Amino acid sequence: MIEINNLVFSWPKHPAPTLDIAELTVSQGERIFLHGPSGSGKSTLLGLLAGINAIQAGDIKILDTQMRQLSAAKRDQFRADHIGTIFQNFNLLPFLDPIENVMLGCQYSKMRKNKLTQSLQKSAIDLLENLGIDHTLQAKSVSELSIGQQQRVAAARAFIGQPELIIADEPTSALDADSREAFIETLFNQAEKYQATILFVSHDHSLAQLFDRKVSLNEINGAAQ
Amino acid sequence: MNLASLAFKSSWNRKSSVLLTLFTIAISVMLLLSIERVRQEAKSSFANTISGTDLIVGARTGDIQLLLSSVFRIGHANNAVKWQSYEYIKQQRGVAWTIPLSLGDSHKGHAVLGTDSSYFTHFRYGKKQMLAFEHGRAFHNGREVVLGSDVAKKLNYHLGEQIVISHGMGNTSFHHHDDNPMTIVGILKPTGTPVDRTVHVPLIAIDEMHGSAHNASPRMIGKAINKPSNEAVHSHDEHKHHDHDHHSHDDHNHGEHSHGEHQHKTHQPVESEPGDLIGKPKQITAFLMGFDSPLYTLQVRRNINQYQGEPLLAIMPGVTLRELWGMLDIVEKILLLFSVVVVIISLLGMLTTLLATLNQRRRELAILRSVGARPWHIFSLLTSEAVIITLLGCLLGTALFFVAILLAQPVLQAQFGISLSLSMLSSYEVTLLGGIMLAGTVMGIFPALRAYYYSLSDGMSIKV
Repeated sequence: MIEINNLVFSWPKHPAPTLDIAELTVSQGERIFLHGPSGSGKSTLLGLLAGINAIQAGDIKILDTQMRQLSAAKRDQFRADHIGTIFQNFNLLPFLDPIENVMLGCQYSKMRKNKLTQSLQKSAIDLLENLGIDHTLQAKSVSELSIGQQQRVAAARAFIGQPELIIADEPTSALDADSREAFIETLFNQAEKYQATILFVSHDHSLAQLFDRKVSLNEINGAAQ
Repeated sequence: MNLASLAFKSSWNRKSSVLLTLFTIAISVMLLLSIERVRQEAKSSFANTISGTDLIVGARTGDIQLLLSSVFRIGHANNAVKWQSYEYIKQQRGVAWTIPLSLGDSHKGHAVLGTDSSYFTHFRYGKKQMLAFEHGRAFHNGREVVLGSDVAKKLNYHLGEQIVISHGMGNTSFHHHDDNPMTIVGILKPTGTPVDRTVHVPLIAIDEMHGSAHNASPRMIGKAINKPSNEAVHSHDEHKHHDHDHHSHDDHNHGEHSHGEHQHKTHQPVESEPGDLIGKPKQITAFLMGFDSPLYTLQVRRNINQYQGEPLLAIMPGVTLRELWGMLDIVEKILLLFSVVVVIISLLGMLTTLLATLNQRRRELAILRSVGARPWHIFSLLTSEAVIITLLGCLLGTALFFVAILLAQPVLQAQFGISLSLSMLSSYEVTLLGGIMLAGTVMGIFPALRAYYYSLSDGMSIKV
């Protein structure tokens, strides 16, 4: 699913590399807990995986695609087609309703739209129902939803159109302990249904036990410290 | 959901600032369109004031002064043309027609023009249009008067009514020639020129109402006062009452006279015996000339300007009109400049708003990037927002413009004689709107570029 080899990345005007990963492999359907405190190069790694930033040295291979060979536009398209993203908080566009926010997940990807078995709107509604956002919540404006509910809507947007990889960047850090586990559980259920790989980034060790594998970015990143 | 609706929804989310910007643009668009429309109409109604006349001749003064006094009834001609000079020049070879003009008197603030029947056959305005009668006919004798359409409308005059022409210019002239009531025999169709605001009388009437005693200085109002002013006004009012006894239209000041019995005089043609229209005038203010061939114009003009009998001036109205408009040119240019600057300021306001809110929207951009939007999409999103705001501003501004025209139309017509047409946008005005749209789009490129670079540097990480 993901193969990283000898990846070295340095930001312009920074003499030392931010990232230096010799090897990291993630297989299909695996649920990875990526532990990364701030400063460990977490954002940089996610930027490279999602194709926002160009690879300077080494390789990232996702779904048998060499990211290095893709142009910036192709990387954007690759992200639209294959990667769903959940941020820490404020994931949603405030001027769209929950359903429209979910539909946004297919906005830039024909491939994901084609994977839908029913209309885009119907798929969005079904997905929201699966993630525990019923129709009364769906009718609300996103600012009226609780943070936990907002994160579920964000998860629905990440999952719609069945992207192979879900990148969750500290999606639970704004939630209380109970909702955290509930959220992760929902995430797993949905991932299982779609056979999606989950790359879950957090600095909260207590969640690590829920995952198949725990990877510490500090350990694999030779450039850290 | 396409880009435009995304841009629209995003804008609507910031509606207070966006709407304010939109209104600013709308008002500036309205201002620009209105000023341009008034400018165009003023220019064309100005140029249409007189046509077909080859020369205007008057006592020696400035070209523009002669044009203003003879055609626009603005200002006073201080000197006059002797009648024998007029008779002499009229006989010159190539002269097709002449129209004598005697100005200086007024009726309730409207200029009184003494002339003869040639005025109704030879005077042209606009695109060589003849004067036409709404009601009635030209005057046949010295006791008849023909009104411009505005005069009749404003004073609510009808055919057959008798009016009194006062001496001198101005609304409340003290001295009235109330011994010379005149009958309205014709009302002209609207022309959009000063003719509409003119009372036309035969030359002989001017001569008669001044009497020989006044002829030496017919335009010196002060000397003519020989009775107390309120008595003069009173006697005039009596006359007005008298008129209304024969006439049904209600004038609120004379309500008790207005109802019932006398309806017959409204627009009924007036029969009369033809009589002398010219009399024995000693002088006239100016005269218009037309030639058999334009070739005569320059030659006769030179002759007139070198005329030995008295100092005269002959001008070609087209040339002098252009000269006069040229003087106003700087004013209209400044007006145009101001309204363009207002539009630019409003667009800069939009730029400021878009740039100021952009920082708060970096999260929005990052979310769009995370679902696969390219920097190019972000760029288009921001640009289309500016386009939407400008477009709506232009549409609203155009609507406001039509409302403004509708409101200003009667005032401009009454005050300045500029007839504004409530016509659709001219191609020039559409071009102006196109220019504003283009400028708005260009303005939109700046925040769009910045957003483009934000989206490149921020990527998916949310900075704010």
